[in-house]
Order: sequence, then structure tokens, then C-alpha cells
Amino acid sequence: MDLQTEVLIIGGGATGAGIARDLSLRGIPCLLVEKGDFTSGASGRNQGLLHSGARYAVSDPEAARECIAENLILRRIAPHCIEPTGGLFVSLPEDGHEYRATFIRACEAAGIENLPLSPREALSMEPGINPALIGAVQVPDGAVDPFTLVVENARDAESRGARFLLHTEVVGLIRAGDRIAGARLKDRITGDEYAVSAPWTINATGAWANRVLALAGPRIELALSKGSMLITNTRLSGRVINRCRPPASGDIIVPNDTVSILGTTSLRSEDLEHYDVSPEEISFLVAELSRMIPAVREERFIRAYAGVRPLVQSGETCDDRGISRGFALIDHAGCDGLAGLVTITGGKLVTYRLMAEKTADFICERMGMHVPCLTRTQPLPGAGLSHALKDRLARLRRHAPATRGEILCDCELVPREAVDAILREGKVRDLQDILHRTRLAKGTCQGGFCVYRLLGVLNELRRGEKSGGSNRVLKAFLEERWKGIRPVLWGISLKEEELIESIYKGLFNLKPEEIPLPDGGGA
Amino acid sequence: MKRWDLIVVGMGLAGLTAARTAAGMGAKVLIIGRGMGSVALFGNSVDVLGEVKPGTDMAESIGAWIAARPEHPYARTGWKVIAAALDEFRALFPPPYSFETAGAGNSLVPTGAGTLRPTYLLPATMAAGAAMTREETLIVGLRGFKDFQGDTVSLHLGCRGTAVSLPRYGLEGLTAQGIARLMDEESFRDGLGEAIRGQMAGERFIGLPAVLGLKDPAGALKGLEALTGARVFEIPMLPPSIPGVRIFHRFREDLIARGATFLMGNPATGVSIKDGRCEGIAVHNPPLKTEYRADQYILAAGRFLGGGLQADMERIAEPLFDLPVFQPGERGEWFGERFFQPEAHPIHSAGIVTDADLRPVDERGKVVLANVRAAGTILAHHQAVEEKAREGIAIATGYLAAKRALTQ
Repeated sequence: MDLQTEVLIIGGGATGAGIARDLSLRGIPCLLVEKGDFTSGASGRNQGLLHSGARYAVSDPEAARECIAENLILRRIAPHCIEPTGGLFVSLPEDGHEYRATFIRACEAAGIENLPLSPREALSMEPGINPALIGAVQVPDGAVDPFTLVVENARDAESRGARFLLHTEVVGLIRAGDRIAGARLKDRITGDEYAVSAPWTINATGAWANRVLALAGPRIELALSKGSMLITNTRLSGRVINRCRPPASGDIIVPNDTVSILGTTSLRSEDLEHYDVSPEEISFLVAELSRMIPAVREERFIRAYAGVRPLVQSGETCDDRGISRGFALIDHAGCDGLAGLVTITGGKLVTYRLMAEKTADFICERMGMHVPCLTRTQPLPGAGLSHALKDRLARLRRHAPATRGEILCDCELVPREAVDAILREGKVRDLQDILHRTRLAKGTCQGGFCVYRLLGVLNELRRGEKSGGSNRVLKAFLEERWKGIRPVLWGISLKEEELIESIYKGLFNLKPEEIPLPDGGGA
Repeated sequence: MKRWDLIVVGMGLAGLTAARTAAGMGAKVLIIGRGMGSVALFGNSVDVLGEVKPGTDMAESIGAWIAARPEHPYARTGWKVIAAALDEFRALFPPPYSFETAGAGNSLVPTGAGTLRPTYLLPATMAAGAAMTREETLIVGLRGFKDFQGDTVSLHLGCRGTAVSLPRYGLEGLTAQGIARLMDEESFRDGLGEAIRGQMAGERFIGLPAVLGLKDPAGALKGLEALTGARVFEIPMLPPSIPGVRIFHRFREDLIARGATFLMGNPATGVSIKDGRCEGIAVHNPPLKTEYRADQYILAAGRFLGGGLQADMERIAEPLFDLPVFQPGERGEWFGERFFQPEAHPIHSAGIVTDADLRPVDERGKVVLANVRAAGTILAHHQAVEEKAREGIAIATGYLAAKRALTQ
């Protein structure tokens, strides 16, 4: 099975999906390949923050202006992926009034709406923050659901003819003289290999950019920075809470539905597949962030995780066209004499659309086409759906099964019907795909109970087979779960841990076996 | 103020065994607990030591194992005490719902994940599980009951599997407790038996989730076997555990008959200490705080799940008496890199270290409180889950702690 397309996009994160949508809206055929599921790289491992740009207002005004512009665009085109929480920049006594004044001036200069608040005003809005604060500034930060955002971009692109191949890895780039003319692909589940030919290949693999480039030879200067985050069991604030001081580690708490995400750290990293969250990082985050919200110290944490930010080394990219300080678009024809290959990397989740626009502009220009970008104004397909809780509840109620169905997940109330619906669609290929598309395994027990039940549902489809299985999938899930849970095991979390070990190692007598370590993610 | 001979903190199997042993010796006993304890979560059969191969005599094999582990709680009891304590336990469960070994040692019984696990004493409702063969067994799931996935069990065991609807309309989403209560009704279980019979293809064994009633499981078993003509067995599943609740109820019934006092629902929150002895235990029942006094005390509050141990970001503590706790290194060392790994996670060795009398000792081996003993999984230096020794440790140390407390 060999395929053909106009533009081959490698990477199913926000950038890749955004490019697929942008090109599709311009009528250019494209095909996207992704090694795992959507957002299995940095797009799925961030803090879910819709930046207002205020964080960069002082240190990098250009990036700040870019952020606020995209922030406002995303509120229009993707309101259903965003909770417009607003954000506070909180000054504690040790942060001083001087930086706060600088910060307010910088927000003004960057065009970021800002409202200085007295400590009393701030506390009346967010009673959880440290009462010792000396002031706060309100800015238009928000929370964004990256998975929905990416899936919505992909859904729109697909309806316009774009094709998506998930769990498909690029194993080779096809060279025709001094051009890249396509790629060799491998289906990671069936093992099938085939080729796709395309005049243009876009490497949108973020931190994995050099992995793909290595298949053809070139290399770009990219620094990788590991950021660790911590998920609480409850939501600690209504708004995004930032520390009003020069950007540093451990300075932000982002609400996300019923939980909050504490972040982040920043450590140089080389290993793209295994990045663990160290006990020191956790201790640091708890100590720093409990300064902003004291309840952090007593909070139960349900999971820790890390993502890898690709940081473009300035001055090292020979043809980044100066389009942004935050991201780089590299034409390998100019740099490495390899035509038909473009790398887009760096950037932030909030600027994914701009990155896609610039990439598509570039491809159009090289193709000699003059089609305007539409993503600035054209809403995503589900944009009519409001994100307000009452509307989401009303939708849930409409979709609730007529009879009282089985609830597979008691933490997040996921009905069996939700899983049956996903299975009927026929697009999911492994357990993690189902978990990504539901709230299963995202609650307090982190899948300790519901994954056993979910596997039962899947095994029901295999009734009649007498395989004598090894519980390999269940054990692989528990191993993956462990990575997120192990760093937060103290306090109440230890109760959950004892329960889960007693079930799976005790009652069910599951034993260690050689399980290959699950992927760290990425395209 | 009323004074007891012994106060037991904790209503898991260790606490219940300690209370019953003492009550059996004529002592006036008060037992305090937040709830039913871990027996209601994980109690099914009685594990003693999983490592002993089926067909091997437990009494002959366990001695060498204990001798190689001088810090293990079994090293305090030895096989003699374990055996005596198990006899006491079995005496509490006369036939037809009795606990027996299948042969001299462990037997392998099916689990809710479709694996086999070794265990020592089987309740009557699980005995046939040790005899089943994959060709002759039908695994039956209950539609709408999510904590037992019959197809997972049958697929992994390599048996035939099926699912039946519960005999009454609209019962989807029932819990194990709810189904177990219905199973106490003869008409309900007859309906289930009929449904199962309709699915059979000559099987000689039938495996069901462990929900065969709370009051009369042996009767339920007999009824189902009569209707299906096959041997029926219960399979342990996700907590809570109905067989465990049966154990709890039986202990409570017996303890109350012997005049023990049950104080359930509120935690013990503080102790008074004087001259190296405990003088009383405070129980907080808001807004009241009541102090209870006794000559002897046994702490059997379990590990983290039961609240017997607690950890902050730095260290592990015992919150009630603030007893010394064996520390398994710093937080970063408590758990290994993999969930499943050949060696147990270091945190499981944490707990209370005692003298031969089960009295907690400090790092130098000195007894901390002369009239306090610790029993059950709160003790240090065992891996109850992976050793498949949870009930054995609870029963043997609970028994020994009570004996020593009352003969002091």
C-alpha cells in the first residue's frame, strides 16, 4: 500500500494538526503521520495554560505580543476548548512593589489588558492565596484543553480531505537527488511498512525534530528543557495564579476542570524517551507553590508528569526568516541543500496556530499559490458548543443512555456507553487511545479500578477465544501509571497505593515479567 | 470510669483475632475501629505463605523460611503459634461454612484477573476452585456488575466464559454488597441457578464472583450446585470482599456473645502516657472526646490504608502512640522504579519493630511502653502482599499479642 499526497506532515501535536487544518482550508491535500496518538509529545504534556503573554511582558515583549494576539484569536475560534478563567499575578512581600510596577508597565506596552488589585480585592476573588500578599494584577490568562484542541483541528482537516495515520512511525525519508520526496512509514501495531510520496515534507515533531532529521542527515540546534508538573486532587483556585516576579521555576498554578496543575521546573534534558520527575523537583514545587497558595502543602496529589520543551537556539538557524523569537521555521533547502523538507519547532501551545499559518504560508509561496490563511477567523467545528459547566452538563444529560448503564469509572463517572461509542467509531487502536478519549483513569484512583473494568469490556468482545493470556496489557498500564504516581507517594496517596498493590499483586497475584518500557511519547 | 482488661485498636483481622483470643481467655475487651478494616477489602481465603509449593507440607516448609528471616513477624511467632492461632480461627467457622486446606499445604485458586494464586485455608465456597480444570469449567459473569469481569477470567484461565443477567429487572449497576444481600434470598439464587443452567454445556465446575450471600453462603452454594449439577466456586474480585465481610460479621457476633465491647466509627485520636505505660486512649466522637482505660493495649491499626502508619514528605510515623517506626530510607527510596519488580518496594519493610513479646522497641531494642503491643501488618519487615502472608501474619500476631498481654 503506497500513498501519495501533496504535503506530508510528521507529528500529531498541536503544530502538526494545526498545519493540517490550515492547509486543508487552503485546499491543499495533506497527510499527517504520528508515532503514537494525538498529543503524545509536548502538546499532551504541558500545563494546559492559555498564556496571556503577561509572563513574558517584561523579559520578552515580542513573545508577549504574539501570545496575547493568539490568545484572543483562540478565544474566538476555539471557545469550547478554553475555560476563560482569567489569571492573577500575585506579589508576595519578598517580590517587592518595584517588579510589580515594571510588570504593569510592560503589560501596557504589550497591549495586555491588566487590572491592578489590592490584597483585599485579590483575596476576595481568590480566598486560597497567601494572605501576606502585597498586591496582585489581573490578566487574561486561561485554561485550555490541548487534546480537544488538537482533535478538533484534525476533525476539521479530515472533513476537508486531509488524512491522518496514527500509531505510524516515519522510519525513513526518501531522497530523490537533492530533494526529499516522501517517507517510509511503519504501522506500529501491525508492523506493516509502506511508502508515501510527497513533494513537501514538514517535520512538526517538536522536541523530536532531530530524530526525524537524522533520517536524512541534517541537524538543527535545539535545546531540550524538561518541565515537571504536579496534579492536585482538587481545584485550588478559580483563576490561573502566577507569581509576580521574573520568570522562574515553580511560579504558576493552572486550574483544569476539577483539579489544578502546579508547575514547573526547567532542567536541560537529552533523553527523549524516559524523563522521570525527581523527588527533589516535587519537594521544590510544593515548597515554592505553597508560598502562593498555602493549601498546597496539605493537598493530595494524584500524579506528576514531565514534558520536554524544544528551545530553538537563537542565531543557530540559518534560515528562520525572523518570523518569531519563540519558534523557528527552517527550510532545509537553504541550510542543508535538501529541498522539499521543512522543520517547524519551538513555540508554545498558545502559538500553535501562528506556527501553522507561517508554515502553510511558506509552502504556498514555494508552490506559487496565493491562498490566504483562514484560521485566524474560521472557528473550529465544535466552536458553537459552550464550555460553561451548565452547558456541558446539559450535553451530558442529552447523551446519557436511556437505561441506567454501568459506570466504569466511579471517580469521573464515565459510563460504559461512552466506551461502547468510541469502539463503534472503530478508530481506536490500543488501550491508551480509549483512555485519551474519555475521563477514564484521570481521577483520584488513576485507573486503579476502571482499567480492570475497561479491559473486561474489551475482553467481552473476544469471548470464545481460549487464549490463556498473560494480563500483559493490564500490567503495562499499571507500569505506565506508576511513572506518574510514584513521585507523589506520601500522605493520603499512600493509602491508594496500598490498595492498588493489594489488589493487583495480592488478590490478583500479578507478577513482574519482561515488559518493554512504554514510549515516552512523541511523533 | 469503667476499666477494661484490654483495649484493641483496629478492626482488621489482627485486631479481631487479638480481641477474640483475649475474650476467649475471659478478659474484658474493648475494640476500637474506624470501620471494618482491611479484612472487608481483601479477606477471602487465609494466606499463610505463598511460597510454599502446593502439595508441600506447610508445617515442614515454613520453618526454614522463617529461620532465614529473623526480623519477620513470623520469627516472633514461629509455626507453633501460627498453627495454634489458625486452629482458633477455624474453630470460629464450623461446617458447613468452614475453612479447610486442600491437602497439607497451599492450593491454587482462580482470581478475578484469571490468574491462579496460592492460598492456605479455603472457605467452603472456594474449595472447588482448587479442583477445577480448564476444560470442565464455565466462568459466569453477571451482566451489569463491573467488579468481576468474567470474560477476563475465562480468557486468561483458558475456560469457557459466559454472562447471565441477574434474575430481576433493573439491577444493573448493583454493588457486590447489594448482590450478596439478594443472594441470601432463596428465590433470587434459584433464579440465578436456572439462568446458569441454561448456559451450561456439560461443565462440571462453575466459577462465579464471590457474592454468594452474607448470611448463608453454604446454603447458597448447595442450592446452586443442586440446580446446576456442577461444583460451584467463588472467585475473589475487586474490593470490597464479601467473604471478608462474612469473616468480620462472624468475629463480631462471637465477640459480642463473649461480652466484648465494639466501638466502631470513630478513630482513636490520642493516648495518655505515664511512667512508660499507656494509661488511656481517647476516642473522638465530635463534639465528645472520651477516654477509655485498660491494663493492656494492642495496636493493630494496619498500615497506611488503615491509618496505622502515616507519612509526610520526610518520614513515616505511627500517629497514635508516636511509636518508633523503622524507616526505609528517604522518600526517593521508598519505591522502586517499576511497579512490578522482582524485589518488593522498600517502603513495605517500614513499620513497628518489637521484642519477642510484640512490644514496640526503639532503635536500641529498648521497650517503649510496657503495656502496649503491636500486631498485624503494622509490624515491620514483612511483605504481606507479595509473600501472600497477610492473613497468617494478622491471625498469628493478633493471637500472640493477646496471649502475651494477658499472661504478663
